[in-house]
Amino acid sequence: MGKMAIDRSQSTLVDAILQDEIARGNRALRSLAPVIAHLLDSDGPSLVSDAIVARLRGMLRHIADQLLASLPLDAKNALIQSQAQSKLIDHLRGDESLVDHLYSVVLEGVLTKQVQQRVGVDPILSPLMQELIASERPEIAEVAMMALAAQSRFCQGQERMELPLGELPSQLLWRVLTHFEATELALHPEGVAGAVQTIKRDFDEAQSRIGLFARLASSMQGGAIAALDIGHAGLALFASATASLTRQEREHVVFACHEGQTFRLVLILIAAGLNINAIEGQLALLGGTRALPSGFETISQAHSQELLRTLTGPEGELS
Amino acid sequence: MNRQQSIVAAHGLTDEHDRLIRADEPLAELQEACGGSLPGALAVPELLELVQQCRKLGLRIAREFSAFDGQDTVAGFVRIHPVDEGDEGGADALGGCAILIENWQSAGQANGNSLQGIEWLDASDRASAEITARLDARQKLQFITSVSADAQALVKAVELAPGKAWSEYVELAGITHEQPLHWRLLDGARARVPGSDRIWRVRLLPVGPASSAPRGFELLLITDQLLDEDAADGGGAEDTAPEHSRLIGSALTPVLRQPIARIIANAETVHARLAGPLRDEYSEYAANIAAAGHHLSGMLDDLADLEVVEAPGFTTTKERVDLVDVATRSAGILGVRAQSRDITVNIEELAEPIFANAEFRRVLQILINLIGNAIAYSPTGSDVYVKVSQETGDRATVTISDQGPGVSQDQAAKIFDKFERLGRDSDGGNDTGSGLGLFISRKLALAMGGNLEVLPSRSGDQLIGAEFKLSLPLHTAT
Repeated sequence: MGKMAIDRSQSTLVDAILQDEIARGNRALRSLAPVIAHLLDSDGPSLVSDAIVARLRGMLRHIADQLLASLPLDAKNALIQSQAQSKLIDHLRGDESLVDHLYSVVLEGVLTKQVQQRVGVDPILSPLMQELIASERPEIAEVAMMALAAQSRFCQGQERMELPLGELPSQLLWRVLTHFEATELALHPEGVAGAVQTIKRDFDEAQSRIGLFARLASSMQGGAIAALDIGHAGLALFASATASLTRQEREHVVFACHEGQTFRLVLILIAAGLNINAIEGQLALLGGTRALPSGFETISQAHSQELLRTLTGPEGELS
Repeated sequence: MNRQQSIVAAHGLTDEHDRLIRADEPLAELQEACGGSLPGALAVPELLELVQQCRKLGLRIAREFSAFDGQDTVAGFVRIHPVDEGDEGGADALGGCAILIENWQSAGQANGNSLQGIEWLDASDRASAEITARLDARQKLQFITSVSADAQALVKAVELAPGKAWSEYVELAGITHEQPLHWRLLDGARARVPGSDRIWRVRLLPVGPASSAPRGFELLLITDQLLDEDAADGGGAEDTAPEHSRLIGSALTPVLRQPIARIIANAETVHARLAGPLRDEYSEYAANIAAAGHHLSGMLDDLADLEVVEAPGFTTTKERVDLVDVATRSAGILGVRAQSRDITVNIEELAEPIFANAEFRRVLQILINLIGNAIAYSPTGSDVYVKVSQETGDRATVTISDQGPGVSQDQAAKIFDKFERLGRDSDGGNDTGSGLGLFISRKLALAMGGNLEVLPSRSGDQLIGAEFKLSLPLHTAT
């Protein structure tokens, strides 16, 4: 009878493992069709590659590690920690808006590197950033200096496939913290609450890289149009200034810079006030291979703004 | 974080109910332009959304924001920090947020948005119009509706004599041209409605496909003044503004008056070195204390007055008031102040006295305020002129003119607003008013059936100064 009991406990353990694995397999099968469809559909370069997936995985892991590191754990809890890490990553991976954001971060890193290799734009210190650092207004120079430091940390972080929690937009950090609180960690809940408190206290969106570039773009006021040149401003400032001028999400602007999204970028840049020649210059910088069909020059700024609103608004594919 | 204070254009503080409890000038102005008050519920929708988000997340957030203040698009970069117990905000800011706005800029509506902006304005005017009417293509009135009590006389007048041009039913300010004018010239005009004390703004919105040849018009009459400011209050249910408790006048002023007077007296004793020899700078500090005390006590009086004037059912008595006599008394009371700045107050003599039907001490209060302002803003050694005259329409007027910097058109538009000081903080401390004087004076004048207005400066004239006109009902029966 004792033997039977052991057998049963073993079988429940196996059941649990099986359940986990089958569920994982189900998820993979469900998402297979859209991924394959995407790969088959795009005639240009694909939006996903092994490098991008690896970076996404690395950043998710880094986020989970930072959350766990904020807990009062010691070496004895190493087992709890590794179990907790995979649970937490499971939660985070399921959050679409987080994954979207991380994707745009990775894409920005990849594109920054491409632009550097293709046309030699310094990923950190672009000519416009140099001008801003030398600005006569000390407050602009200071923000520019801080943005520069943040950008250099970003490039390094991308190499290491890391993303500090402080670099997340406030809403996403909040979501991440909510996932953190919801994850069963076999720990005192007070420990988690305290850790969340500390992370919240240390966070300041205005000090994050994206926050700093947004402040920089805002402080340039009318001059922000000078940043609509990737070769002059660098991709980071370009994206922030374009987002600010067209009131688009910065993520969308970065997304539009992907080779396969030429038309989206054209539309955004017309809306921002660039003429078609300048836009073609930008496409060339990004390595666009498809020629623009004629007729684009007839789209007015107002019309493109309207199109952007309808095509990428709530009813569009990106929301 | 503390290193970039220089870039910050405005600070603000909200409490746990998203009420703005403290704000720097630009933010306070925006709040008022959006229809809010200080302290009061945060009225800028774009900021309110961010503040609510900040409270929900419990995180410091940073966003670009833009808002429309009725004329311009205001844009900036806003940082919002939750304030909790440990923070600098202290106990009074528990559960609220601190707002920091950087790169404040205000610009006219951008070209691309102008059409939308106009639509927005039209929509808000439609929503806030208290009198609406429909006109035909020749601006003849077809029908009129209003629920406002003071517009019923107009509605009656239209019922009795329908079908006339709309401008015949109301009195258009500053437009004496033969009516009807082209609608574009009348859109935005000011008008008086018979039976209403309020000033109305006219909107004429063309109806039909082509605005060059409209089929008809929507006529909107809009006013910023509440019909009965106090009775109508309480609409903002969450606002816990006390309902005319007379807190300042009946409770605070009597208690504070004596200590403040003692502070002033002691500071002046020290300043005059009556208590013994003293170094110059300490004597000056004492003078500053005395000046601040004077300001405080003046402010207290003004606030008490404001409370009285704004209380529901505030009335004035009617008596026969000799205007030249009041003006002479006011000038006499301000004589020392005028002398100290070497300013002469000239009161024009009259052959026959002119009597107004008003309350003596209120008229005195108004004239002291006006002549006091004239003295404060005139250059030393100049003249202030006071002229009493009689106008058609049974009105007696007192005109006070000075040789100071004058009042620009922009300033004239808001000079009578509550707490409006027209940037006079910066003139070296000449003026330490509360920004309530003119507001109270105007309220008093209106309560007595008169008016107080600032006259447009006469450019080309040698003496370009400010000119204020107090008009009161004439005392006719003798």
